[in-house]
Amino acid sequence: MTLVMVVDDDQDLAEMLGIVLTGAGIDVDLVSRGDEVMDVFRNNPPDLVLLDVMLPGLDGIEVCKLIRAESMVPIVMLSAKGDTQDVVKGLEAGADDYMVKPFRHPSELIARIRTRLRRTNADVLGLLTIGDLAIDVQAHQILRAGKQIALTRLEFDLLVALAKEPGRVFTRDALLSEVWGYRHSTDTRLVNVHVQRLRSKIEHDAEHPEIVITVRGVGYKAGVMGGS
Amino acid sequence: MNRILWIARNSLALKVILSTVILSLGVVWITGSALNSRLSSGIREVNLNSAIVEARSTIFTADYRFLLAQGEDDAVVQKVVDDVISSATTITLNENTREVVFIRSPSNSMDMNYEVASNYLDPASIPKSLSERVRKSEDTVWQYTTMTYMQGVSVPGLAIGQKVQIPNAGQYEMYIVFSLANEEKTLNLINTYLLIAGFILLVLITLITWVVLRQVVRPVREAARIATEFTSGDFRKRMKVTSQDEISRLGFAFNEMAQSLEQQIARLENLSRVQQRFVSDVSHELRTPLTTLRMASEVISDSREGFDPIVARSTELLVAQLDRFERLLEDLLEVSRFDAEVAVLEAVDFDLVQLVNRCVEDLVLVAKERKTQIYVKSVEPAIMIKADIRRVERILRNLFANAIDHAEETQIDVNIVASDRDVAVGVRDYGIGLDEAALTRVFDRFWRADPSRARTRGGTGLGLSIALEDARLHNGELEVWGRPGRGAHFVVTLPRKTWDSIDQRLISLQPEDYKA
Repeated sequence: MTLVMVVDDDQDLAEMLGIVLTGAGIDVDLVSRGDEVMDVFRNNPPDLVLLDVMLPGLDGIEVCKLIRAESMVPIVMLSAKGDTQDVVKGLEAGADDYMVKPFRHPSELIARIRTRLRRTNADVLGLLTIGDLAIDVQAHQILRAGKQIALTRLEFDLLVALAKEPGRVFTRDALLSEVWGYRHSTDTRLVNVHVQRLRSKIEHDAEHPEIVITVRGVGYKAGVMGGS
Repeated sequence: MNRILWIARNSLALKVILSTVILSLGVVWITGSALNSRLSSGIREVNLNSAIVEARSTIFTADYRFLLAQGEDDAVVQKVVDDVISSATTITLNENTREVVFIRSPSNSMDMNYEVASNYLDPASIPKSLSERVRKSEDTVWQYTTMTYMQGVSVPGLAIGQKVQIPNAGQYEMYIVFSLANEEKTLNLINTYLLIAGFILLVLITLITWVVLRQVVRPVREAARIATEFTSGDFRKRMKVTSQDEISRLGFAFNEMAQSLEQQIARLENLSRVQQRFVSDVSHELRTPLTTLRMASEVISDSREGFDPIVARSTELLVAQLDRFERLLEDLLEVSRFDAEVAVLEAVDFDLVQLVNRCVEDLVLVAKERKTQIYVKSVEPAIMIKADIRRVERILRNLFANAIDHAEETQIDVNIVASDRDVAVGVRDYGIGLDEAALTRVFDRFWRADPSRARTRGGTGLGLSIALEDARLHNGELEVWGRPGRGAHFVVTLPRKTWDSIDQRLISLQPEDYKA
């Protein structure tokens, strides 16, 4: 069974989230304080974390950084504020996705969670290469000259999406639907922030990217390097 | 020249110095001239008086000697005449030259002629008018003249004459002529000194004015500079106040104003911060329970199959009203963001035509329900603009929804026009339209065209006012035209690049199909 950790200080909302998720066949671990998250997390590692931004004890952004420091588990931030700064802060802290309260439908929340839990690109077999990186999709590994690079699942999916079709230029909207499972979203901040994070991990020089290349005014594409 | 005029117009110091120089020039000129004329007439008078006294005594002596020579022979008389001349005449020509001239009176018909002028002085140096006056008068008579010598030299002079009786030769006019070269020289010197003094005075006045001005203008300039810095947002600057004079009072008053301004601004900034904070808090506090409510209502709604009709309908209403409540909350928060001036533009490049089509597609079902249809016409198949796509989408949705609400089963025409700098979208319906009063209030918050008209789409009453704010945030404009029963025309014009201003109205507000 899938386990989702719900971190929210609002007891009623947490309970309601529990009801909805349980109804969708997902196990739920409820945590109400930011400073209690890591203990619960270590004792019973979840498959995904639903994390509110405003939390007593320790705020959601800090909690997100702590989780990222030791795990690549998908994190979806729950924010009552749609303001860019908060969203970007959350994403930069390591969140994969965010949802602004109130959600349109509980089904939307469940869909997002399922997208993050799904083994994307399960159809891709064998090894992919992008730049000087080798991607083992099945083993969920990125190797550069035999050394493994740790990526979150989302970053991995993003990289695989680009590597699968080396010639194609992906618009941000295309990536949103491919990687995040959004339809008609116009929120390109998600893509921008994640591309930055991915670059900081895989590029030799994040200022002059050679693997994930920006196509001005359009989007991104996989870089061709060393004749690969 | 123009540049000097420009500087003069723009610099208080130069203006004051220029007018001071011009005015002092006048004052110095008048004083100088008065002084000059007083001095010259004074000097002349003194010289004249002493010359007259001297001439009188000379002529008196001569007259006496002629009296004594009465009855002597011509040689003796000639000797007396020579003596008189040589004793009254200076030997050399210099500034104090004195000459003697004897002129025979015209009435004299005696044979002996003693007409003579000393030192080759031209007897014509004695003006005719003076001669006539001498003949008529018994006393000495004087007149200014020019002393002309046979050698060609001429100097200004003073001629003083009187009738004398020369023995055996009858009546003569005796003239003593004084050179005024010295006096002339003195007067010239005085003139020169006056000019120099005037010039020095002028220079000094200019310097003094400049020094005084600096004391006055410097604080004024400083105040101006600080005021400029104030305008550009630096409210910490203050003027230096060191004494108790008027200028310092200006500085003091300025500083007080600055401080009061700074406090006001700080207060307003604080208010704005409090407002922003409040908005954020309300947002959080309301959204969390609303999220719970939404999820609970959805869970209930999902199992409404088994409910009895009343409960099922109630559930539907609950879900619908929660939707509306949420929209209202969103709109209120947006409005308060505009009011607090914390709304920010997040510009991206996108295709406006594509966005319009997507918005229209989303509303196709609603439009069908209201028996209307939206037709989109664009000058180009794709129009790239850089703007806040979320806000532009909101403007379009609000305009389309508003048109659907008021179209009254007529069609809706959407027209997209672009120039190099701007884009415009016109939304035209042919429904109930708007009257004069409505046109002025249509963007007001919570305003309804007709209070008896139900709001069928559950609009919040804030849509158009938010659309207007969204357009203005882009430096764009949202305008409306309407006539009762003839439909309405909303036109939004936006610059294609963020922060540009709009160049021209690409779509005329009064629709082309409308004929008054």
